Amino acid sequence: MEGTMNRDLPVPAVIAAIRPLTADTSLLTLCTEPCYRVASAFLPGQFLELSLPGVGEIPVSYCGFPAQDGSIELCIRHIGHVTTPLKVAVPGDTVGVRGPFGHGFTLSDYTGQDLLLIAGGLGMAPLRSLLLALLNQRESWGGLTLLYGARETGALLFLDELLELQKRGDVELQLAVDRPEYCLDGPPYCRIALLPALLEQLDVDPGRTCAAICGPPVVYPLLVSRLRLLGLSDDRIHLSLERRMKCGVGRCGHCAVGTRLCCVDGPVFSCAELAGTEGAFV
Amino acid sequence: MATLFIAHHNLAALVEKLHRYAELHGPVRGDDGVVRFTAIAPGTLPDLSAIRTLLPPKKYLLHPQETLLNYTAEAGYQMPVEEVRSLILFGLHPCDLAGINYLDQLFLGDDPDPLYAARRSALTLVGISCTPDEFCSCHLLTSPLKVLSDLFLHVVEGGFIVASGSPRGDELLDVVKEFLEEREVVVPEDACRFFGHAAIEQVHPELDATLPEWQELADRCLGCGACSLCCPTCACFDVLEFGGLDGSSAVRVRQWDNCLFKCHAEVAGGMSFRKDRAERFRYRYRHKYRGFGPLQGIPACVGCGRCRVVCPAGLDLRPLAERLDGGHHE
Repeated sequence: MEGTMNRDLPVPAVIAAIRPLTADTSLLTLCTEPCYRVASAFLPGQFLELSLPGVGEIPVSYCGFPAQDGSIELCIRHIGHVTTPLKVAVPGDTVGVRGPFGHGFTLSDYTGQDLLLIAGGLGMAPLRSLLLALLNQRESWGGLTLLYGARETGALLFLDELLELQKRGDVELQLAVDRPEYCLDGPPYCRIALLPALLEQLDVDPGRTCAAICGPPVVYPLLVSRLRLLGLSDDRIHLSLERRMKCGVGRCGHCAVGTRLCCVDGPVFSCAELAGTEGAFV
Repeated sequence: MATLFIAHHNLAALVEKLHRYAELHGPVRGDDGVVRFTAIAPGTLPDLSAIRTLLPPKKYLLHPQETLLNYTAEAGYQMPVEEVRSLILFGLHPCDLAGINYLDQLFLGDDPDPLYAARRSALTLVGISCTPDEFCSCHLLTSPLKVLSDLFLHVVEGGFIVASGSPRGDELLDVVKEFLEEREVVVPEDACRFFGHAAIEQVHPELDATLPEWQELADRCLGCGACSLCCPTCACFDVLEFGGLDGSSAVRVRQWDNCLFKCHAEVAGGMSFRKDRAERFRYRYRHKYRGFGPLQGIPACVGCGRCRVVCPAGLDLRPLAERLDGGHHE
């Protein structure tokens, strides 16, 4: 009952903590009542619909790892009609959540494989969820590489966390920023380049590597063609597509990609599924 | 074979009887000359000779704007408690019945839409046969959609053959049994010229974007969205929320949306995945003739002809459909 109820009706979630990540982005931790735990049982790559009463509802990717206590982490950039008012939210405020929706990353496909995570900008949010899930069973996978690009060093999300993981040797981290900042020292291993440039010197075994990509739509064609040059087949390239899913349950028609619906069949698709689909990227 | 028959001269009395049974709506020509589905005034007859209404019956199932949720600070989000009155829709043509069948598949699947389900269960559908005009293409269609109704009237010489399609139809037949007679009637063959049921050919899901026709159509299209507004199977909706003036309540509504509008494929930051009109045109075509999501492979076009009638630029997708899908043939 609660599972179906949560699909059409937002259930209350209390903001437990707010952690500023960059100048315009914060990490919200939401807490749901035990009866609404369904909202916090998700797979990396899935999304939920976040409601701000009186303002509206938006699709947001899960950013954390499914927690026992039913808490939900969401990475919010305060830039839209719902996310801007959230900038002044304080712990204790209540929002609404529906979900989880969609088809996320299929972890079982990755068993024994080397994984290449490629994140651009805010695309780090859903990939953080995947990264945490992968680290949770670290021994199940081979090499774990994260390529992460952002506009500038100040916009790199979760940098402290990622550098810590790099230090522990769990993840091989490569960073890139589009432009240098003169007053700040860049983090170690950070290049001034566009994200696809990180793939140029990468050494991968295309037969046992899967790539998971999330970033601005404009970089997808370039990333996919670079990955193909490295020898990865299309079924090994998994992309999370961005669309404005207004209902989340396959009715409103806004998130159609070719003949598929992003909210039901996606948002994570393999490149093979999207082959020849007009409007899949830009 | 003997069939149930209603003579023309009994129609007025039958409509009168149905009036007493439930609220009765049907095609009525207004003073403005527009034929629309609306309440049939007592003592009058629906306009059964009109070939099509301006808006399809989807307006009964999906209101142009309707409340999805109410919010109050105390109770949170709540679904509206809406009183759904039972309603007989009288005089639906096969294309409109097929359109309702399409919407049923979309909104009453594994995960039914509560609002749609409530309204649909309150509707009793009475269909009627018709003769296609030059705008109709139902008789050229091959479609897996079904023409389902509770009661169906087949127009023949001197009256109608009546057939029930559901238990509710049987009930209705019982209500009007005094006007029914058993008769040997031969149905003329051309009276069945609607809605072929043949299986559709498997077509490649992707459209050939290089065809020059797309740009030609897009150049003439005004982007007004009238074709989608009057389409019996166009069901895209937008979701909006409005805060109340008291500062603690809100209402969330859904309203008809339109894939020919630029904002339909917009995402955060104003980026759009269908920037030019030809792309939006192909999107509409794909939905109407090939289907997507759970209804992939089921063409949504029911051939009612409304889009061709209302298009201010006189656009017609049929020649393209014939060329691309071969689904339409004489």
